[in-house]
Amino acid sequence: MTEAPAPEFVIREYLREHLMPHFLCPGCGHGIALRALLWAVHELGITKDRLAIVSGIGCSGRIGAYVDANTFHVTHGRPLAFATGLKLARPDLEVVVITGDGDCLAIGGNHLIHACRRNLNITCMMLNNEVYGMTGGQVSPTTSNSRYTTTTPLGNFEPTFDACALAEGAGAGFVGREITLQTPALKNLLREGLAYPGFAFIEVISDCTEIYGRKNDLGNSAEMVLSQKAAARPDVYTNSVDRPFRPNQLRTGVLARKDRPEYAAARQRHLQSLGNVE
Amino acid sequence: MSTEPATTTQNLEGNEACALGAIAGGCRFYAGYPITPSSEIAERMASELPGVGGVFIQMEDEIASMAAILGASMGGLKVMTATSGPGFSLKQENLGLAVATEIPCVIIDVMRGGPSTGLPTRPAQGDYMQARWGTHGDHAIIVLTPASVAEIYAQTIRAFNLAEAFRTPVVILYEETIGHLRETVDLPAPETIEIIDRQWAAPDDRNFLPYRPGTDGIPAMPRPGDGHRTHMTGLTHGEDGFPTQKPEAIAAANRHLSHKLEPHLDRIEQFEIVAGEDAEVIVVACGLVARAAKRAVAKARAKGIRAGLFRPITLWPFPTLPLQALLQPAGAVIVAEMNAGQLIAEVERHAGDHCRVVGLNRIDGEAITPSQILQQIEELAND
Amino acid sequence: MSQTQIEIRLSGSGGQGILLAGQILGDALTLERKRIAQSQSYEPTSRGGLSRCDLVAGTKATDYPLASALDYLVILDRIALHASDDILKTNTLVVIDMSAAEGKDAENGKTRALPLLDTARACNDIRSANIVALGALVELSGVCRADTLVAAICAGAPAKLVKSMLKAVEAGQNLVRA
Repeated sequence: MTEAPAPEFVIREYLREHLMPHFLCPGCGHGIALRALLWAVHELGITKDRLAIVSGIGCSGRIGAYVDANTFHVTHGRPLAFATGLKLARPDLEVVVITGDGDCLAIGGNHLIHACRRNLNITCMMLNNEVYGMTGGQVSPTTSNSRYTTTTPLGNFEPTFDACALAEGAGAGFVGREITLQTPALKNLLREGLAYPGFAFIEVISDCTEIYGRKNDLGNSAEMVLSQKAAARPDVYTNSVDRPFRPNQLRTGVLARKDRPEYAAARQRHLQSLGNVE
Repeated sequence: MSTEPATTTQNLEGNEACALGAIAGGCRFYAGYPITPSSEIAERMASELPGVGGVFIQMEDEIASMAAILGASMGGLKVMTATSGPGFSLKQENLGLAVATEIPCVIIDVMRGGPSTGLPTRPAQGDYMQARWGTHGDHAIIVLTPASVAEIYAQTIRAFNLAEAFRTPVVILYEETIGHLRETVDLPAPETIEIIDRQWAAPDDRNFLPYRPGTDGIPAMPRPGDGHRTHMTGLTHGEDGFPTQKPEAIAAANRHLSHKLEPHLDRIEQFEIVAGEDAEVIVVACGLVARAAKRAVAKARAKGIRAGLFRPITLWPFPTLPLQALLQPAGAVIVAEMNAGQLIAEVERHAGDHCRVVGLNRIDGEAITPSQILQQIEELAND
Repeated sequence: MSQTQIEIRLSGSGGQGILLAGQILGDALTLERKRIAQSQSYEPTSRGGLSRCDLVAGTKATDYPLASALDYLVILDRIALHASDDILKTNTLVVIDMSAAEGKDAENGKTRALPLLDTARACNDIRSANIVALGALVELSGVCRADTLVAAICAGAPAKLVKSMLKAVEAGQNLVRA
C-alpha cells in the first residue's frame, strides 16, 4: 500500500486572505515564523478545524488572527493560561500558543514556568525580537546588553533572559530555538515540537527591523538575520564544540527533549488508578 | 398525597453548597487559586469534578485561573472560579476579556474586609462596586447576592444558566460569614433542576458570524472543530469577530455590550420584598445584612412601625423599577451595608426627592445586627 | 426569634474540638427535624485562643443566622469566660468546666459548673471534653435526645473517634445525673 504524496504546502490555504495586507512592518521576522509554523502544521496533516491558536498581546499576538483556524487573541501575558484551559477542555484540539519575549517572559513569565512544569500537550512558539515593538520599542527581558530602546536611552545594562534555559529548568519536555533565516530548520523544529507529547517551547529569534534595528543601527532585515546566523551555533555542532570559545553564541536546534509524563495523560492514569474516572 | 420529587436534607456550609450547586448546574471545569475565605469551594470542586468527568486545576495564580476558565469555556465546558477581594482584583482584566468576547463563566467572590489584604477572615460587602465596574470600559454584567446556604446553592445553578443564556460572566458575591455558615438545606432532586445550555452555532452554517446577535440579541457560539474557524479577540471587534476601527462598528459593539441584558431583565432580576405593601420605612440590604434586616423589620412591625425590606438577589443589573415602585409610598429608606456606602449611591439616584435616604454602615469587620437596624428604623419612624 | 427557636454556643480554647462538637450537635438537631444555622470563629484564634461555635435551631429556617441571645452556653476554658456576656439572657443555662468557673457570677442560678475536663481525663482522652460537655448539656437541657446525639456521632464523627466519643457522651450524662 502506497501513501499518496502529501500535497504541496501552499500558505494561502492556511491564511485568512481577506485580512491581507497584514500589519507587520517590512523586514519583520514574525511572518517567516508564521510561515514555518503553518508549514509544519501542513506536514503533520493537522486540519485547520482542529488547529487552535492562542496568542497574547504585542506584535506576536496579532499574527494568530491571520491563520484560518480557531484563533483566540487574549490578554497580555495570558495565552498559556488560556490555552491550558482550552486544551484541558478539548484534548482533541492541537493547541498552539504564539507569544513574544515581553508577553511570555515578562508579564506572562509565571505562566510559562508553570506550563513547563505541568507539561500539558501545548506547543508554545515564542517570537523573540528583543523589544516591545507594538508599544514603540521599549526594553524587554531579552534585549541585548548595551542596546538602545525608548526606555534605555543610555543603553541597556540589565542581564538578558535565556528563555530556553528557563523553560528547560522549569521542566518543559521539549525545548528548541531557531532563527528565521533557517526557515526549513525552523519548520522541522516546530514540527518536532508539535508532534512532541507534552509541552514544547520553541524560541524563534525574530528581528524587529523598523524599531529595534533602526534604533541600534543594526542594518536592514537581511543584515540583521545574517548577523543572527553568524551568532547561531546549531545543535549539530554540539559534539564537536562542547565548550564554545564564544560563550555568547546562540545555541539553536533541539536543546532539550525529555521523556516526561504529559499532564493530561498523567492525570488520567492517576484517576484510573483510583478507579475514579469516567 | 404528595407527589413532590424527593429532596435531600442536609447541613452544608455555604462554600460547600456553592460547589455542589456548580456541579448540579453543569460546571465541568474549575480553575482556582487558594485564598481565604473561599478555598473550601476549590477543595470541594477538586473532589467532586473527577467523578462527573470534569476537570479541576489549581493554577499558578488568580490571573491564570481566570484565563484558564475562559479557555475551557471557549472549548465548550461550563466553567467557574472562586476567590476573594485581592484575587477578585487580579481577575478583573480577564473578566474584561470575558465581557468583551462574551464568554460564559461564573466567578465567586466570597467577600472579606478590604482594601488590600484587609481582613481575610472577616465579612464585608466592599466589593459591590468592584463587581459592577472593576474591569475597565462600559459593559453590562450580572451579579448575584445570595443570603443563605440554600440560596447559594440555587443561585449558583442559576448563575450558570444566566451565563450560558446571555453569554456573560456572572459574579456571585456573598460574605465570609455566609460562606462559612452551615445551614440545613433541602437539595432538590437533580431531575427537577432547570439547566440552560448556551446556543451553539449550527455546524453547517457557512454564513455564521460569531458576534452577530441572534433573535434574542445574544450571538450563538462557535464550537471549535465545528468548521467555523472564527477569531476571538479582546480588541473591539465587529460581528465577524475581527478587530475594527470603524466608529459605527465600534459604537455598535459597545452598545451591544452595555445593553445586551436589558431585554431580558424579567429573567435576570430577582429580589425579595418583605412587608412592603404599606411600608413607610424601607430597608435595602443584601446577603447577611438583609437577614438582619428581616428580623429588624419583623420586630418593628410587632411594635406597630410600618417597616419593610427590599433585598436585591440580583444586585446588578440593579432592580431599579421594583425598588422605585416600592419607594413610591415610602418616606424613608435605610441602605444597610457592610462598607462605607456603596449601594446607597445607587438607591439615592432612584429614590426620588420625596424619599429620605439614610446609610447604615459598618466597617469594623463585624456584621450589622438586627438591633442596629431596628434602632435606625425607629429613629426614622419617629422623625 | 420565634418561641420554638433556640440559640446554643459552645466556647473554649482552640484545639478543644469546639467546632466538631458544634457540627455533631447541629447534625443531631437536624436528625430531630430542626433546621440549624451554625457559625463559628474563623480566624487564627481557632488554633489556640478563643474558639466558639454557635447554633441557631428551630422548626423553620431562621431569619437571622447568627446568635444574638443565647439559651445555652458551654464554656470549656477560662479564655471564654466573659466572651459571651453581651448576648447572655437572664435565664441562659451556662454549662461551665469547674476549672473555668472561678470568677463566674455566683448569683447566676442558671450556671452549672461541672468537672468536664476532669471527666474527659478520667476517660483517658482529654480531647473528648467537648463531647462530655455535649452529653451534660443534653442531659440538663433536653435540646435533643441522647440517642440522636449518639446517632449524629456515629454518622458524622471521624471513625477512629466514635468509640471514645460515645463513652464521653455517657460520662457527660452521668455527671448531671450524679
